[in-house]
Order: sequence, then C-alpha cells, then structure tokens
Amino acid sequence: MKISGTNTLALAPEEAYRRMQDPVVLAACMPGCESLETIGEDEYRMKMKLAMASLSGAFEGKVRITDRTPAGFRLIVEGTGKLGFMKGEGLLTFSQSGDGTEVAYEGDVQVGGTIAAVGQRLIDATAKMMIKRFFEKLAA
Amino acid sequence: MATPSITKLEPFIGKRIRRKEDPRLITGTATYVDDLQLPGMHFAVVVRSPHGAARIKSVDIAAAAAMKGVAMVLTGRDVADLACVPCGASLPGLRVPEHRLLAQDRVYYVGHPVAVVVATDRYIAKDAAEAVEVDYEVLQAVADPEKALAPGAPAVHPQWPDNTAFTFHQEGGDIEKAFAEADVVVKQRITSQRLIPSPLETRGCVAQWHAAEKSLTLHTSTQVPHLVRSLLAQMLGLDENRVRVVAPEVGGGFGCKLNLYAEEALTSHVAMKLGKPIKWIESRRENFLTTIHGRGHVDYYEVAAKKDGTILGIKVKIIQDLGSYHQLLGPAIPTLSVLMIPGLYRAKSMCADVVGVFTNCVPTDAYRGAGRPEATHGIERMVDILAAELKMDPAELRLKNFVRNEEFPFPTATGLIYDTGDYAAPLRKAMETVNYTELRKQQADARKHGKLMGIGMSTYGEICAFGPSPATPAGGWESATVKIEPSGKVTVMTGVSPHGQGEETTFSQITADHLGVPFEDVLVQHGDTAIVQYGIGTFGSRATAVGGPALYYAIQELIIKIKKFGAMLLESDDVSYANGQCTCAKTGKSVSIKEIAGAAYRAMKLPANTEPGLVATYFWEPTNFTFPFGAHIMVAEVDPGTGAIDIKRYVAIDDCGNLINPLVVDGQVHGGVAQGLGQALWEQAVYDDNAQLVSGEFMDYTMPRAHMMPWIESGHTITPTPVNPLGVKGVGEAGTIGASPAAVSAVVDALSPLGVRHIDMPMTPEKIWRLILSKTTGSNA
Repeated sequence: MKISGTNTLALAPEEAYRRMQDPVVLAACMPGCESLETIGEDEYRMKMKLAMASLSGAFEGKVRITDRTPAGFRLIVEGTGKLGFMKGEGLLTFSQSGDGTEVAYEGDVQVGGTIAAVGQRLIDATAKMMIKRFFEKLAA
Repeated sequence: MATPSITKLEPFIGKRIRRKEDPRLITGTATYVDDLQLPGMHFAVVVRSPHGAARIKSVDIAAAAAMKGVAMVLTGRDVADLACVPCGASLPGLRVPEHRLLAQDRVYYVGHPVAVVVATDRYIAKDAAEAVEVDYEVLQAVADPEKALAPGAPAVHPQWPDNTAFTFHQEGGDIEKAFAEADVVVKQRITSQRLIPSPLETRGCVAQWHAAEKSLTLHTSTQVPHLVRSLLAQMLGLDENRVRVVAPEVGGGFGCKLNLYAEEALTSHVAMKLGKPIKWIESRRENFLTTIHGRGHVDYYEVAAKKDGTILGIKVKIIQDLGSYHQLLGPAIPTLSVLMIPGLYRAKSMCADVVGVFTNCVPTDAYRGAGRPEATHGIERMVDILAAELKMDPAELRLKNFVRNEEFPFPTATGLIYDTGDYAAPLRKAMETVNYTELRKQQADARKHGKLMGIGMSTYGEICAFGPSPATPAGGWESATVKIEPSGKVTVMTGVSPHGQGEETTFSQITADHLGVPFEDVLVQHGDTAIVQYGIGTFGSRATAVGGPALYYAIQELIIKIKKFGAMLLESDDVSYANGQCTCAKTGKSVSIKEIAGAAYRAMKLPANTEPGLVATYFWEPTNFTFPFGAHIMVAEVDPGTGAIDIKRYVAIDDCGNLINPLVVDGQVHGGVAQGLGQALWEQAVYDDNAQLVSGEFMDYTMPRAHMMPWIESGHTITPTPVNPLGVKGVGEAGTIGASPAAVSAVVDALSPLGVRHIDMPMTPEKIWRLILSKTTGSNA
C-alpha cells in the first residue's frame, strides 16, 4: 500500500533532520517502540508492539536509514512477529516552510500473514495514525 | 431384479418428515471431532508461512522444543521421505508439483505448512509454534491467474516458468460452420471469483496409533472416510485394513472436505512416532488460508446465433486459477465446466479450451457445484446477452432453444447423454408464479418513474449422481447393507457419508416403504470404515441418487430371503411380502418380519440352500449421471443513490425427479440459493499483489446471514429419471447453480436502461454505485 503526505514541524530543517536520525529520539517517537539498539552504521535493532483491529502483538526487526542526501533520507522499518510481518519504507524530504520545516514522505507499507488477512482494511488508517503520532512526538 | 409388491397404505416417501438428525444437533449433544477426548492426548499446531513465495533459509526449533510440555517439533526435513499429498485428477500432460506434508526449501502460498509442534495441550502447542523461528528470503509472488500467464511473471514453481499446469481442449459438432453461418456473435469476459467454502465446523482430526496391532484410528471431519482410509494407508505405508477412519458429526463440507489434506497425514504420522493420540483442530483463520478455495475462473465466451435466436455454437476459453498445488480433484474441476457448457440448449457445436494456472494461492478444488456453477453462470449470462443483442425476451429465447421433450435421451455436443427432461416446465411455472407478463408491465412503469427494477432468470442444468465409475477418480458406485436384527429392528449401513444432507431420515423413509417396516425401527449408520462395508462418500449430489438405489437393491435382495423364511414358516410355496408381513396366498395366514427374523437367527430350521441371518449388501453402479434442471427468477430493485440491491422476490423451481422428503429438498435448495447469492452479491477471496489473502476473516469476507436472505419461494416440477429405480436425481447443488446467474441477470436487467449488459460478481453496493455513476455521469469515481 502506498502512503504519502506532508507534515509541518515547528523546528528548523537542520534540527528536524538531526532529530529524525537520532536513535534516542526515534525510539521515543515511534509508536509502540520498546527498544532501539544500534547494530551498525544507520542500522538499529528494534522491538515494537503493534495494535490494529482485534490484533496486537510484538514485532522484532530492524530500522535502517539509507539514501542520505542533504535534502533527506530513506527510512526503512521491518519486523516480524507472531502476527506475521510488516515492512514500511519511506523517503523523507525536508524543506523550509516559514519558520518551520515541511517534511514530505512517500513510501510503501506491506504486511503479511495474519495481520494482512485480518487487518488489511485498517492498515491505511493505522499507518496514518502512527505517522501523525510520530510527528506529534517529534515536535514536542 | 424382481419388482417389489408393496401396497403400503401410508408411504413415507414424499412426506415432509422432520429429520432424525436434528434433535442431537439442536440440543448440542452431537459429537464433532473436537469433542473427542482420549487419555494422554496431545495437541498439534502447524507453523505456517506468512509469505506467498519465499525460500526457507533456516528453521530454528530450539526455543520451541525446549518449552515445557512440548513433545515434538517436526520440520520439512523430518517428513521428506513420506509420500506426497495425492492428486486424484488425471489429465494428459498434467504437471503435478511434489506436495510434501511440510514445506521443503520453499513456501508457495500464505499458510503453507512449515513445521508442526506437538505439546500436552493446545495452548502450549500454540505458544511453542510461535517460538519456531523461520528465516525466509522473500520472493516475488503472483496471485492473479491472468498475470501469472503473462510473459515474465514470477514462476510459482521454478521448473515451470509459464505457470501452466495443463491445457485441455474439447470440441463437438462443427464449430467453424456454426460461427460461419451465424447472423450474430456475442462475446463477453465472465469471471467466477475465488470463494472460501467456510463450513461452520473447520477441519480437524484425532489420530490414535495402536502400536501392538500396527493399526491407526483417525477421526476426521470428512465427506469421504473410505477414500481417506485408502489414500492415508498408501501414504503412511500401512495396511488398509489396519486403518480405521471415522467421520463423526461433520459440520458442513460443501466439497472442501472431499479431500485428503496434509494435516490428516501429518497428525497420523506424529501419532505413530510419538505413540500418543494427537488432536489437530484448524482455527478459523487457518481455514480461510489453508482449506481449499472454490471457483477461480476467468472465462471468455463467444456465442453464435441466427437472427431468430437459434443458438448455433458456443466457444469458451477457461482460465482456471489452481493455486500452488493440486489437492485431490482440483485440475479435474474445470473439465466438468466444459461438459456443462451446452446447458439446457440444443446447440450441437461447442469448443472449449482450458488452461490450468499455478498461482501463489491456496489450491482450488470442488466447492458446491464444482465446475457446473461456473459453466451455468457463463452460459446463462451469454443467453441474456444474446437476448439483449437480438432485443428478444430472455424467457422466449430460452424456450426457443431448449432441448425438446421428445429428444431425450439427448446426446450433447460434449458427449453426455441427458437422461430426461421437460426444460420448459419449471421456467413456465416460475413465470406463472411471478406473473411474468404483468411484472414486465410493472417494470416498464417503474422505469418511467426512474426506478431501477430488474427481472432476472436462469434456467440451469446439472450433472449429478456422480457417477458412472469411468467418470470418477475412485469408483462411482455406492453401497448399502441392510441388516434385520433378531428383534426385527433394521440397521442400514450406507457408503455415503452425510454431513447435513439428512440421509439418516431419507434412507429411513426409503427403507420403511420398500422393506415395509416402521420408520422408527430403522437406524442408518455411516461414516465409519469399521462399520460400513465400503463406500465412496457424499459429494456431487450423489448420496440419494446413487446411495439410495444401492439401498433399494439391497432391500430387494433381502426380501427374497425374507420370503424364503416366510414360505418355510407358513409351509407354503406361494407367499407374498408386504408391509412387514409374509402372507400365504392360499390360507391367508401371515408371519411378521419380527417372527421371520427370530427364526432366521435362531436357525432351528433353515430353508433349502439358505444361510441363517437376514443381511444383504448391494454395490450399485449407475449407468449414467442424472441431469436435474430448473428455473430461478429473481426480481430486484437497485437504489441508484447507494447501489444497494433489494431482492423483491426469489422463485426457485427445481426438478430433481421424485422427492423422498420435500422438507429436506427445500432445505438443500434454500442453503444452495444462499450460497449462490453469497457468490453473486458478497463473497470474494481477495489476494493482493504480494499474494497475501486480505479477506481473511468474516469482517472482510461477507458470508450471507439470515437477515440478508430474501424469502425463497421454492417449488418443483417432477420428471423422474430412468437412470435409477427411485427416479431421484440429486438436489444438493441445484440452488447454488441456479442462483448466481439469476441474481446477476436481475441486476443487469435493472441497469439495462443505462446500457449495462454484464456485471461480474460479487455485485457489492460499491461496485454497483460506481457503475451507475460511470454510466450516468461518465465519472470513474
């Protein structure tokens, strides 16, 4: 499923860019994230809990940052758990917007196993909600 | 065979008798597989692939195996030497993938079994299954059969990059000539979507190994216990007579339990290895993912006709989505569609090309109607489209093309011989029921007021009573044993395996009438290979139409013996038998069946050349299929604002020959119509581009519920078949076959003023709303 959108943060672009690559900040802002530990350059091991429809379960996986340019980077989150697997990938670009920063994202979310069979129709709403919470926490 | 001389005053056949089965079902005292509890029983849970296609890099069972209560964990490697899940379909050049009990190095669909975990209870087993770590390398999957056929599509099985399991061609008559002589040719792509059978009871089994006797008992929710026994014995290398298969109460099958599944063999294998009874019960989510699906057709039709409506020829290209493997009959199902292509019509030329396609989905196989609903849906839609093209009334076009009564037995262009028929009769009766002429006037009026009202119809034929043995994979006969106990009570053992069809009742009626005993005195036993002599099972509308005659002939054999004992007791050579009494013509003296049974078992004296006891067994082989038919009419109104379909009337007139129990027949028709309307209006198994099943629960897979059903006005015409002595044809699938084309016909008719000629199923309100919008505003909302 394709996702895209924009979010305006009351932060300078450099600050937004920095925060979104800081594992401590990411761990605090990603909804359901329970731990994020560095395992390599731009690569982290993640544990998270996901709740969707009647399902909730733990996922373990990786967060990676790739394609880094001055304008932005790609964030890849993938995890597997007893509910199946999830993979989200998004290209983030940062631009000045007034006093703040507009973050544009464009990407793709894939889920499989039980979570796909049972929760497919809620993925769109869940993904949007998670992105919204992420940015809310990031700006806080 | 002597004809019976029965002059019973009050026959049971033909009466609306309440089912003997129902008290235990509605009081919750029936025994299903999951009700079984055995000492020391362990529970198995299957670890399944979350991917449509992936290479298995590694399976780590250490954590699962170490959990307290876990007795065994097996992976693909542990079952690599065991036989594959069998495919019973044989077609020239059929590619049969190795279908191991557990995935070896690759998984081919979401739900593919990868490992099995056995523990002391089901909760531990489930937790341990979640602790099995499988490392997958995800591969590209393909779920759409047409995309799978396109060049460059991901190969489901790498050794067959064209994803083609088989091709099949059949033609009859002179199709070139038919199309050359046509005034008009109509063409349409018609789909029959993937469906999920969804019986109330999911699959499940309990396997028990008796090591000292080297024998296995398997309780399994199946339609074909004897077939499961033979196949399972072969797979596990056991002697067939040391395998006992029991189908206890079975909560629905609809074809999805006409199979031998990997889990049945796996559970048995684990029971043998562990020496403990093992239970495996499929969860509802597993049922969506891993029990066979039905239908899965994309068909391209062409029909050639004269200006006056005479149909000359039918061409069809069938693309059958087979899924990733073959289950028992999968590849054979579309060949049944081909046989059914002529429908009820006289057209003597046809041509069909089938391509069976591998996709990364769960296999498709027989689902209520199995091949025949697909064909009937297609041909009935085409007749409607032809009627629209010729601006003819669809009923008139059908009446013009029906096989005429004097033409039976009628050889079809596909090589069948239709036994008997009066095809116009149910259509006329259905038209009278709805007052067709008046209804068309009302429709014209309603249209003037902007209402979208439609009158739809289908006139369907079926191939039932499977079947003559050459046409079935494991024999098409059926068997019955009739045993009169020393007390005079009667036990019937039938080879069919009812799971909702009511044969405990209908076979009691047949026995009561033909043997002349009280209905209550008859007990019908089935579904246990240790009790029943042998049998084929219940599918293809065959139980009453093949199992019934077997019972009838067993009774006739038994009556010969009864009369011998009667003659001995009455000391006369001239005795007749009726109503449970042997009577001497000369003296008028009689003896009851109870007295005869007593004498036959006490055996103080025996008639010449006669053994003690009163038991007869008959294996009956039919000479032909039966070909039931009927007409369904649906009246509907479509809400232009929401696309919602309101069914105003639903009339089902079926001709299944003689009715043993009209109550049971109505039940079959009602259930069948519900499933047909389910397909027409709501149900669809949807896989996304990654071959993930996204309609994997009842929130997304819309099963019909009682409040969504119209009032079904059912009726019958009766044209007994000459194929069997009971004149019965089978009715298990009729409702399903008749309903989907009638429903689409009604909605298309409602939308025909907007220029709509065909709509593919399911006709969800959203689809209809978008269609109306695109036709009225040109918008593609």
